[in-house]
Amino acid sequence: MSVAAEAAAAALAAADGEEAEAVVLAERSGLARFAASEVHQPTLIENVVVTLRVVRDGKVGVAVTNKVDEDGLASLVDRARAAADSAVAEPTFPGLAEPAELPDADGFDEATAAQSPEDQARLAAAAIAAAEGLDAYGYYTSGVTELAIRSSTGVDVHQAMTDATALVLAAGEGVSGYAEQCAWRAADVDPAAVAREAAAKAERTRGAQELEPGAYRAVLEPYAIAELLGYFAYDSFGALGLLEERSYLAGRLGQRIADEKVTIVDDALDPRNLPKRFDFEGSPKQRVGLIEDGVARDVVWDRTTAAQAGDGHATTGHAPPAMMRDYGPLPFALALAPGEAGSVEELAELIGDGIYVTRLHYLNIVHPREGVITGMTRDGTFRIRDGKVAEPLVNLRFTVSVPQVLEDVPGLTRKTQLVNASDFYGERYPYGALVPAIATARFNITGAGSRPGL
Amino acid sequence: MRDLCETAVEAALAEGASYADARAVVRRSQSVRTKNGRVEDVNDVESEGIGVRVLVGGAWGFACDRRLDETGAREAAGRAAAFASASPGNHDRGLAPVEPHSGSYRTPVERDPFDVSLSDKVELCLRAGTALEHADVKVAQASVRAQREHKTLVSSEGTAVEQELVETGGGIDAIAAGDGVFQMRSYPSAHVGSSSQAGWEYVEGLALEREAPRVAEQAAALLRADTCPSGVTTVVIDSEQMALQVHESVGHPTELDRVYGTEASYAGTSFLNPGDLDSLRYGSELMNITADATTAGGLGTFAFDDEGVPAARTPIVEAGVLRGFLTSRETAARLGAGGGGSMRADGWSRMPLVRMTNLHLEPGQGTLEQLISEVDDGVYLESNKSWSIDDKRLNFQFGTQIAWEIKKGKLGRMLRDATYTGITPVFWGSLDAVGGPDSWTMVGLTNCGKGQPGQGAHVSHGAAPARFRNVQIGVKA
Repeated sequence: MSVAAEAAAAALAAADGEEAEAVVLAERSGLARFAASEVHQPTLIENVVVTLRVVRDGKVGVAVTNKVDEDGLASLVDRARAAADSAVAEPTFPGLAEPAELPDADGFDEATAAQSPEDQARLAAAAIAAAEGLDAYGYYTSGVTELAIRSSTGVDVHQAMTDATALVLAAGEGVSGYAEQCAWRAADVDPAAVAREAAAKAERTRGAQELEPGAYRAVLEPYAIAELLGYFAYDSFGALGLLEERSYLAGRLGQRIADEKVTIVDDALDPRNLPKRFDFEGSPKQRVGLIEDGVARDVVWDRTTAAQAGDGHATTGHAPPAMMRDYGPLPFALALAPGEAGSVEELAELIGDGIYVTRLHYLNIVHPREGVITGMTRDGTFRIRDGKVAEPLVNLRFTVSVPQVLEDVPGLTRKTQLVNASDFYGERYPYGALVPAIATARFNITGAGSRPGL
Repeated sequence: MRDLCETAVEAALAEGASYADARAVVRRSQSVRTKNGRVEDVNDVESEGIGVRVLVGGAWGFACDRRLDETGAREAAGRAAAFASASPGNHDRGLAPVEPHSGSYRTPVERDPFDVSLSDKVELCLRAGTALEHADVKVAQASVRAQREHKTLVSSEGTAVEQELVETGGGIDAIAAGDGVFQMRSYPSAHVGSSSQAGWEYVEGLALEREAPRVAEQAAALLRADTCPSGVTTVVIDSEQMALQVHESVGHPTELDRVYGTEASYAGTSFLNPGDLDSLRYGSELMNITADATTAGGLGTFAFDDEGVPAARTPIVEAGVLRGFLTSRETAARLGAGGGGSMRADGWSRMPLVRMTNLHLEPGQGTLEQLISEVDDGVYLESNKSWSIDDKRLNFQFGTQIAWEIKKGKLGRMLRDATYTGITPVFWGSLDAVGGPDSWTMVGLTNCGKGQPGQGAHVSHGAAPARFRNVQIGVKA
């Protein structure tokens, strides 16, 4: 039995007699972070975190520990009981999940799980060496995460997941370029190729010019559109945002809200993403169509929001971890459907005159209900002239309505890329977005900021 | 704990480390959140472990282990040394000298927050939530939190210190929605309330229930308020938003690790250069910023940072001129100035980074009313709603939950969806008034992110309302 499954079984046994659910996340990871072409913050983590949810007379309490010995689990049960006794019964609480048949999913690779700290340092070195005359900043990381859930209602599920990411900012005086690769098989990540892509991009950013604010046509690389959609998803693609009228989709389900080329789903079962079989209640993951052919279709649900809606909705397998319940259910496997363009250069031709954006920085939601987000471009912003990627630009402030960005989409690339969406705060739970590059007829630039480079 | 840390340090030295430190951390936190009369969360969380940091051949290594026993300590030390040994690069690191210290510190509290029952915490939130009820308020939520972190630090240079830091906090939010408009008001801060290193007396002092009706009324009124116009004008900014302005446009750019580029791949770098010290004009002569790890109640208060450097109060900007950076021992040695004192780690499983402690805008003179009375035409901005700033901390754009127009020295109509934007040194250069000590308040934020893997930090900022001329407001999508 795995570490996580053992801990889940032990925690549930310690809570014998209670209506209870034990969720265990176990992590073993290494992250070799480098700057100025040397590893400076290498971090190795091993942890097992048990979250015990106890229900007493309809009242719910949660306790968390990483002490998985007998005393630690006994204390965990006592604290969860005390938390439950302090709560107030909630009529719409749907109870703990019942066992359900789970879909199959990939997502675990023995070779990735077996990577040693020396392997991780070696792969970081490969990225550094390939930065071609520029300094490399970034990291190589790989890890194995196990999620196990066991409950008094009979849920007994477990999945081991691997992930690996190489991320490189190649930079020098006045130049910087960015690239990354992410996969659940480390063999699918080539740190040297990532560094070469970043370095090649950086060299083209020398002599960046300013740009007048205004609405521009634009090409967004996968790194950029993945982050933009990720922020839009916080309020607009989850059921809690819908119920609380934060979501742009509130009142618009069934309506056309985007170009018909735009289809966005959440699909944790897609083997090209970081596959997951079940959510943090043990409910099966489902593929959910969010925007299909430009029409708003649905949001992701968990059992709590489905019960609160009270209109026949059911979970789609998107319950968040207990400590993130205030966010409600969130799509952890966004995918934007590809288009017909053979390359980003073809997208630039479709745009004709506009801007080319590699990566975004420090996004924030300005008006959730209108889907307005602000942020900066970074590490590879260029002018597009006569259908060609032309001179470099300084980092630009954008303030865009995401629905406006998606309203008129001249094209998307055929090729999609998995973009890591996790910054590895707290316990490791890798997730990403599978997206193509996209061309948009409207990307609103509202200012200019820093120049590329250090 | 001290024995375990000593074991780890000895094991690291035996593996070839020229320097090692070990931190054993035991953290417990409780949080309660209610929404619309429902109890959404009652959580009791604990986490413990040991983190070992080593220098081998000039290269850093860090590894951690959740087992607070001899095996965990030794294995973490061994893994850290192995990772350091495998690290590529031409390592040449020095550390600014620090006298070895021993001692202990505990946050002074009047009432231990863990002596307050969870039932009482739930009851407080439910009462505050009830007081938020309003016909236009769709979501009324309240939350309180408490945290106790006990940490022991031992270094191979002879430092051995123990600290127990206690935090409490709370806040309320009223979310009004209707006719496609969504508006939110919060108290005492928009970032999950505000926290302080203090006992339960801090939460009681917030008087959430008393403030709730005003918060709900304002959220409802925002549904019908006019949208903030666009233009260049004078802005008066309240203390809470000033706290975030200080955080983003002074705190982060003065972190010396960012100046040297070590955060380039994620949080970004800085528009500042090491040579700017004592010469760069950051803002007007009214701008005085202090880093103070000794502020009573500050979330960045301690006796020693996570490198064992004693807490200090140091000027960062004096009369508008850059006078200091936030430093680690390594970055201070590289700069040849300062001695560290800003290294903080998020628990036991992360490596210490240069972080803000408590960073304050020092008060000036006058009241908020006086600042407003001297404005013929402008906008008063209150409570953060959105925030974004570029990788070098130059171009920022903030939104606030609420605003009022200022006409001939008086507040006029309420405005919604207000934003303002600027370039850091230009904006601070337009500072022409800071409120006096009576209007200076401190906000404790618990959501500052940095590092890969990501680390959260808890920091406090004190500020008085401040006035800036010629500011762009009303950015539209």
